[in-house]
Amino acid sequence: MAVTKVVMPKLSEAMESGKIIKWLKKEGDRIQGGDILAEVETDKADVEMEAFGGGVLRKILAPAGETVPVGVLIGVIAEPGDDVAALIASAPAPAPARAGASALAVAAPSTPAPTPTGSPRPPAVAPAPMRPSPVTSAPAAAVAAQPSGGRVKASPLAKKIAAQTGVDLRLLQGSGPGGRIVRRDVETAGAAPAAMRAVPDAEFEDRPLSQMRAAIARQMPLSKAPVPHFYVTNEVAMDRAWELREELNALEGQPKISLNDLVIRACALALMTHPGVNASLQGDAIRVFHRAHIGIAVALEEGLITPVLRDCHAKSLAQIADESRDLAARARVRKLRAQELSGATFSISNLGMFDVAEFSAIINPPEGAILAVGSVRRVPVVDEAGLGVGRRMALTISCDHRVMDGAMGARFLQDVKRLLEEPLRLLI
Amino acid sequence: MNHKVDVAIVGTGPGGYVAAIRCAQLGLTVGVVEDDRPGGVCLNWGCIPTKALLRNAEVVSLLGRAAEFGIRLSGFEVNYAEAIQRSRRVADRMAKGVEFLFRKNKITLFPGRGTLKSKNVVEVKGTSGVETLEARAVILATGSEPKSLPGVAIDEKTVISSTGAVRNERAPKSLAIIGAGAVGVEFADVYAAYGVQVTLLEALPRIVPLEDEEVAKELTRTFTRRGITVKTGVKVASAKPGGPGLVVETDDGKLEVEQVLMAVGRAAKVTGLGLEAVGVQLERGFVKVSPLMETSVKGLYAIGDMAGAPLLAHKAMAEGVVAAESIAGRAPRPLDYGNIPSCTYCRPQIASIGSSEARAREQGRDVTVGKFPFTASGKAVALGETEGFVKVVADKATGELLGVHIVGPEATEIIHEFAVGRTLEATLEEIIHTIHAHPTLSEAALEATLAALGQAIHI
Repeated sequence: MAVTKVVMPKLSEAMESGKIIKWLKKEGDRIQGGDILAEVETDKADVEMEAFGGGVLRKILAPAGETVPVGVLIGVIAEPGDDVAALIASAPAPAPARAGASALAVAAPSTPAPTPTGSPRPPAVAPAPMRPSPVTSAPAAAVAAQPSGGRVKASPLAKKIAAQTGVDLRLLQGSGPGGRIVRRDVETAGAAPAAMRAVPDAEFEDRPLSQMRAAIARQMPLSKAPVPHFYVTNEVAMDRAWELREELNALEGQPKISLNDLVIRACALALMTHPGVNASLQGDAIRVFHRAHIGIAVALEEGLITPVLRDCHAKSLAQIADESRDLAARARVRKLRAQELSGATFSISNLGMFDVAEFSAIINPPEGAILAVGSVRRVPVVDEAGLGVGRRMALTISCDHRVMDGAMGARFLQDVKRLLEEPLRLLI
Repeated sequence: MNHKVDVAIVGTGPGGYVAAIRCAQLGLTVGVVEDDRPGGVCLNWGCIPTKALLRNAEVVSLLGRAAEFGIRLSGFEVNYAEAIQRSRRVADRMAKGVEFLFRKNKITLFPGRGTLKSKNVVEVKGTSGVETLEARAVILATGSEPKSLPGVAIDEKTVISSTGAVRNERAPKSLAIIGAGAVGVEFADVYAAYGVQVTLLEALPRIVPLEDEEVAKELTRTFTRRGITVKTGVKVASAKPGGPGLVVETDDGKLEVEQVLMAVGRAAKVTGLGLEAVGVQLERGFVKVSPLMETSVKGLYAIGDMAGAPLLAHKAMAEGVVAAESIAGRAPRPLDYGNIPSCTYCRPQIASIGSSEARAREQGRDVTVGKFPFTASGKAVALGETEGFVKVVADKATGELLGVHIVGPEATEIIHEFAVGRTLEATLEEIIHTIHAHPTLSEAALEATLAALGQAIHI
C-alpha cells in the first residue's frame, strides 16, 4: 500500500511539540513529494512542512491551531483507492500538548481502533475515490523541509507586478502548478492591508506567550545565570569602511552591501585567527571550531531569532550580503528552515538601525561569545591634523569566562577593528 | 436489465465522450447513454460537418480565383448535394472514430434516451426495451439545441436550423440568416460560395458581436465584397409563407427569400431528463455547477453546453476531464473560463482569446494595442490570403496579454501561442523573445506583439 504517514517532524534539537499554524493543502488535494503541506510553529520559528510522498491528502488528523508532540501522526497521504481507514483509526486523538510537556505522553491511542466484526473491510471514508491503487512507494515520514535552492518559481507576469509593487517574491507561497507564484498571489500580497489597531476597552490584557516568547523566557535565565559573562568594548573608525561600502554599492550588478555584512566578514576572518573565541565549553573540554557559522540576530514583532549563516569564513562579501539578506527576510516572515536555526559558533547582534551608541548582548549557549554592534555615529575626533569629524562605531563583545579570558576577547576585537579600519582586507 | 457501473454518462458529445475516456483511463467502469450517433452535435451536426462544407466553399472560391495563379479553367461545375454528401461522410467517419474509442477503452454504449430515476440511477429507453444503469457517479452531458425567435418556427423545410442546414442537399436561391454569430457567418460563407443570395440579419449593432469591433468591421468588409448583404441593428418580427418561400418582416422592411436559417443561439437541453425530480438546480436555463462540475446534487455532474456558456466543444471536453478526475478523486484544477479560445471558421477566419480592446478599457486597464495586417506578411502574400490582421491588447505597465484578436488566414491555428502564453502568464516580452519561424503566418503574431511595444519591424 503506497501510504505516506505524515507525522509532526522534529525540526530542532530541543523541539518536543509543534503547533499547526495552517494547512496549505486540504483533504482531497493531490500531493507531490516536496509540496509544502503545512506551516508548523516551533519554539524557534515557523517552519514549512514538506510532503515526502505523493498521492492524495486523504486525512488531516490535527487541525490548524492544534499543538502536537513530535512523531505523532497528523495526516495521511495515499492513493484514492488505498484503504487508510485502519491507519486513521489507529492514530491517537491529537491531545493538546503544552510546550515543554513530555512528548511521549500521547503514545497510546486514546480512542480504540474500531474492530470490524464479520466483514474485514471497513467502510470507505470518502465517496469520491474509486481508483484502484497504482504503484508508488513512499518513505514513512515527512520531516524537515529541504533547502530548495535560490530560484523563485514565478510567472513572468507575477515577476513584473512584484517588481512594480515592491512585493518580495521570495516571501510568497505560490498557488500555481507546483507552487509557482502567479499573478493572483502577488496581487493578494500587495493588497493585504496594514493591520488596523483597535483601541481596547480593558485596562490591560494578558497575552498568552507565543512559542517563541516562551522559548526566550525559558532560555535566557539559562544563558545568563550559569554563564559568567565579561564584556570588552572597542571603538572602530568606520570612515574608510563607509567609503568602501559606498563605492561597492555604486557597482552595477553587485548586491548591496550593508555595514553589518562588513562586520560579519570581519568577524569571520578574525575568528579564523582567534579560534579560542570560536569555541564552546563542552563539559570538561573546550571545543574549538574550525569553521565560522555566525548567528545573526533578527528582531521580530514577538521576539528575536538568530538564523545561522554557515561557513562565513569561506564566503565573499557579496555572498554574505546576499545570504544574510535572504535569511533576515525569511526570518521576518518566519519561513526559515530547521537547519538554519542551529549550529552557530558565534553570534552578532546589531542594533545600529535603532541609533544605539553601544550595548551588550547575552551569550547564546553553547556559543562562547557574541558581538554587540552599535550605530555608526559622526563624532568629533582628534588626530595629527587636529580636530575633525569622523565616523565611529562601538563594538562590545560578551565572552564566556569559562572558555576565554579578557585578553583573548580584546585581541579578537582588536583584529576586527583593524579589518574594519583597513577594509580592503575584507575584499581579499 | 440492470447494470452496475462506476460512472454513467448521459450524452456522447465532445463533453460526454471525453469524460468517458478519461474515466476509463482512471480505472473506472463507464456506461454511456446516447439517443443519436456517438459524437453529439459537434461530430454529427455541428463543428465537423460544417468544417467540411467550409472547406468545399474554400475550394470553390479558389477555383474561381484560378486565373490569379495563372491557371486557366474552361469552366467548372459545383454540386451542392455532393458537398453535403462529402460532409456526411466526414461526420460518419468521425462518429465511427468515437465508437472505436469506446471499444478501445471498454466503455459500454447504451443506445436510447437516458432519464434520471434517482441521483445515481439512469433509465435508458432504447429500441430493445428499458434498461437501468446504477452508478456511483453520473455525468450529464446532453448538450444544447438551436433556439428560435417568437414568430418564427423552425420546421427544417423553409425555416431551418444549423442541424437542418447540414442535411439539406438542395441549396436555396436566396437565404436570410437570422443571427450573425459564429454559426450564422459560417453558413453565410458556405452558401455564398455556392451562389446563394445571402442576407445576414443581426439585431446587435455589428456581426460577430462577441468579437473585437475591428474584427467585425474587417469581416463585414470582406463579406460585403463577396456579395453577402449584411444588415445589422435589425430586429426580425416574423417569417411567413409568401413570395419565393418566405416573407421576413423586420423593423427595417420586408425581405423575400426562399429559406430562412435561424442562428440566434442555442438552448441547453435540460428537459425530460428528470432533473427536477432529483433536485438539480438550474440557473438561467443552464444547470448550475461547481468549479469541479458537480451539480447541486452530490455525485451528479453536468458538463458542456448544458452547464453554461461559452457553448464550445473544447470547453465541454475540458470540463469532461475535470468531472472525470474529480470523480476519481484526483483533485483536478478547475477551468480558467477567462482563457478559452473562440474560433469561427468563415473566410477570413476569426480567433480570439481574452478581452476585446473595448472591454479591457471598460475594465479600466491602461492598454497598449499592437496590430499587424496580413498584407505585410510574406507568407500571407505568397498564399494569396492577405485579408485581416492580428491585434494584441496588453496592459501598458506590465505587458500582460489581456486579449488577442485575429481575423485572417488560419487565425484559428495562430491563436494558440497566445493561449499558452496566457496560461503561463507570459507578457509581451516573452512572446517577442520567442523566435518565430520565417515565413509563417504566425510571424504576424510576433509582429503584432512587437507593435504593442512600438517595435514592429515589417510595417
